[in-house]
Amino acid sequence: MTARRLPRLAALGLLATAAIGCSDDVRPPLGRESDALANATPKRGGVLRMATYTDIRSLDAAVAFDEVSNAIEQLLYAKLVEFAPSGRVEPDLAESWTVSEDGLRYVFRLRPGVRFHDGDEVLASDFKRSIERSLSPDTPCPASSFYERIKGYADYTGKKTKELEGVVVLGDHLLAIDLSEPDATLLAVLALPVAAPVCRSAGRTFEREFSLKACGAGPYKLKSWEPGRSVTVERFAGYYRPELPYLDGIEWSLSVPNFTQRFKFEAGEQDFIRDFSHADFMRYRASPAWKGRGDFEPSKAVHSFFMNTELPPFDRVEIRRAVAAAVDREQIAKIRPGLVRPASRLIPPAVPGHDPSPGQRFDYAAALDHMRKGGYPYDPATGKGGYPEEIDYVTVGGSFEQEAAEVYQQQLARIGIRIRVKALAWSAYLAASARRGSAKLGTDGWAMDFPDPSDFFEPILSTKAIADEDSQNRAFWSNNEFDGLLDEARRELVWERRMELYRRAEAIVVDQAPWCISYNKQWFELWHPYVHGYVIHPALSEHVGAVWIDGEAKRRAASARGAPPFSRAKTEAMLARFAAASDGRAGRR
Amino acid sequence: MLGRALRRAVWTLFVLFAVVSLTFLVNHVLPGDPARVIAGPQARPADVARIRSQLGLDRPLVVQYAWFLKRLVHTGPADTGAKPPPEHASCSAFGPVHVDLGMSYQQRKPVARLVGEKLPATLMLATGAMLVQLSVGLVAGAIAARRRGTWLDNGMVTVTLIGISAPTFLSALLFQYVLAYRLRVLPFDGFGRTALEHAVHVILPSITLGVFGAAYYTRLVRDEVATQSSLAYVRTALAKGARPWTVLVKHVLRNVALPLVTVVGLDFGTLVGGAIVTEKIFRWPGLGSLSVDAVITRDGPVVMGTVIVASTAIVLANVLVDLSYAALDPRTREQ
Repeated sequence: MTARRLPRLAALGLLATAAIGCSDDVRPPLGRESDALANATPKRGGVLRMATYTDIRSLDAAVAFDEVSNAIEQLLYAKLVEFAPSGRVEPDLAESWTVSEDGLRYVFRLRPGVRFHDGDEVLASDFKRSIERSLSPDTPCPASSFYERIKGYADYTGKKTKELEGVVVLGDHLLAIDLSEPDATLLAVLALPVAAPVCRSAGRTFEREFSLKACGAGPYKLKSWEPGRSVTVERFAGYYRPELPYLDGIEWSLSVPNFTQRFKFEAGEQDFIRDFSHADFMRYRASPAWKGRGDFEPSKAVHSFFMNTELPPFDRVEIRRAVAAAVDREQIAKIRPGLVRPASRLIPPAVPGHDPSPGQRFDYAAALDHMRKGGYPYDPATGKGGYPEEIDYVTVGGSFEQEAAEVYQQQLARIGIRIRVKALAWSAYLAASARRGSAKLGTDGWAMDFPDPSDFFEPILSTKAIADEDSQNRAFWSNNEFDGLLDEARRELVWERRMELYRRAEAIVVDQAPWCISYNKQWFELWHPYVHGYVIHPALSEHVGAVWIDGEAKRRAASARGAPPFSRAKTEAMLARFAAASDGRAGRR
Repeated sequence: MLGRALRRAVWTLFVLFAVVSLTFLVNHVLPGDPARVIAGPQARPADVARIRSQLGLDRPLVVQYAWFLKRLVHTGPADTGAKPPPEHASCSAFGPVHVDLGMSYQQRKPVARLVGEKLPATLMLATGAMLVQLSVGLVAGAIAARRRGTWLDNGMVTVTLIGISAPTFLSALLFQYVLAYRLRVLPFDGFGRTALEHAVHVILPSITLGVFGAAYYTRLVRDEVATQSSLAYVRTALAKGARPWTVLVKHVLRNVALPLVTVVGLDFGTLVGGAIVTEKIFRWPGLGSLSVDAVITRDGPVVMGTVIVASTAIVLANVLVDLSYAALDPRTREQ
């Protein structure tokens, strides 16, 4: 071999490697024979292995509030009420409840005989203790103010009282919640883990150690949590619904990059996947072996960009309307076909009150007309006119939102609005976009805290949400009619009338355009055929409470592939053999 | 000698103090509110304000800095295994001496304990990577130097060029694909639970992290060996009938060790600071991923803690390098 040939060979090797890495092939699903059991009676046993690319900070119901923690908390904690697949609230630990005529008192009758993971019975006093623990002024609860209409909240969080007056124990199995004013969102926020009863070992005050031994009354109990690595839960035999859960346990691997997840999923070391790169998502969708498998989780978030209504030129409603009409949302969706969908209204598809009819619409001619009415006419033929200054658009660097901003840049240039995309670090973006008088234009959006339309209006677009620093209303938009509708809707307990009020509020946003509503993102989820019973819940992410596994099919699939080298079982077997051999030698001596 | 050592110690402490103070300042002047990051982008302002107050972030910067310095090293009750009093909840006790790096905003754990948990994994990975770098670098570099101008030398130069050029995430992906996914001879990622599992799990990240260094060391050793081989003492030894490989190992490599140790010392210090990409990809629970997560989430106490560890490691590595000169080269002892 000559020296001249070596670089060529090396290049060839690299190409081959790249070809392997870029291969379009995905391995077929494991345990396909289990498809026949899709409608069979669920079987008990087995461990479901899941993964997520994020880490979790806590499993304490009082403070954990991100999406992944929430998925695990749904398994660890039972609540008074829970979200039905319709998004409406249904009984959980409360058998039933009544609401007083004035809407100020809710009385819950609790199921008798429900047990915590440590064996104690769940009583009304546990709800009071747990809610007070979560809302205590010393607890870093990020959702405390969801409960601000409970009577005595301000005094309790202001350390003026030692008890939360509005949570009243009427008996061992009877609990009342009194409100200072009617609140139609109360049941929805009681379905959040923040209000779940936690074991008495958690005490009355927040202790960070509780997170490592989180204890509730849910279908699974915490077996182990190794921060940054994994969470393992195991079946709680004393769960009040004796038929559930089916699995012996669930293992979550944390902080796993998406390409590693794909490798593990195909190697049979992971049963369920949803953190795909877009390329891998396309591969699975195109693969005949995976045809018809998996499903989309409907979007629980809306993505948009704000226009600061206190700063020119967006202090003119016609300019805002022009922007909303100039954005072609179909083009944004093409950046990630399948995972991004055009949106034109505030309430996303997974949230009750979603209206599928068009809201803000792409209409180029109308956009030019609005520019003219707004005082900045633009002639697309000559490129003359439009807003004379370049406008900064703040967004998060390296995110999909930045990619979308670059498309907006091109689209808005066609109506004479030139924007400069400023990509910032996440924390810097939060600071810059939420300071009064700072950013004219920037990425915005909202993800569901709980499945109620109020969550998509009050925190982000009401006058109350405006602040000089850290403003949640980044458009600094204030509209009396809109605020009035929100107040009315919050007090309105009749569902249909509430929805009508929110529809009217949404129509104002669509017309006044403090936000250019742009797209929804959705998750695609995939699992091997031996995983059964997974039904996508519109309100909860990765809700695996009723999942069961065809253990036989899973074992066959695993044995066909061979157990992974250096698996825990193999290592333990090897150590046992080594120990036995050592003992034998010691005996001979 | 003693005076020199004292001067060195004072200088080291000053460097550490300067690094810590600068980090504290930079961390606080950067835009972004840690309380907002902790509470989440959607938390209501009242909840964010309460968390800010709980963390003491509503106090003036000077007060926060003075409090940090006052708490950094202080005295307190020795650790008896019982729950410490609240004012020492975030301390690590070494007898009556307490080190308090504060409480992590995000993980709500004492930073000293958090860093203490991550440090062994980081040291393990740094050692593994250093072994890969050194063993490959020394062997390949020596062979390339001995076979200069041959296809072997050219091949090694090409491979080292690829090794130096390849970004870590790419080599990590490649090794994971080939060794874990295709060949199934190593686990994908993780840390394991037993010593044996740790030893197996560290191989893939060590190779990934060591590739760049191995390539660099190969080039360094090759050039140094070539330079040394042209000197008179090598010719003399060969003329006296010593075997070429004996001369290489016993004489040449000893002289190559001096520049190599300098680089190794600095590299090891940097590796202890954390191998961010490698740790992230292989889910290695070390200081690298801890520090980068802390920067992103504005977890000031953790940023401070990791900076202190990383800068201490680099400073100590430099001191060790200085000391090793004396052992390797008697002439420096005389100087």
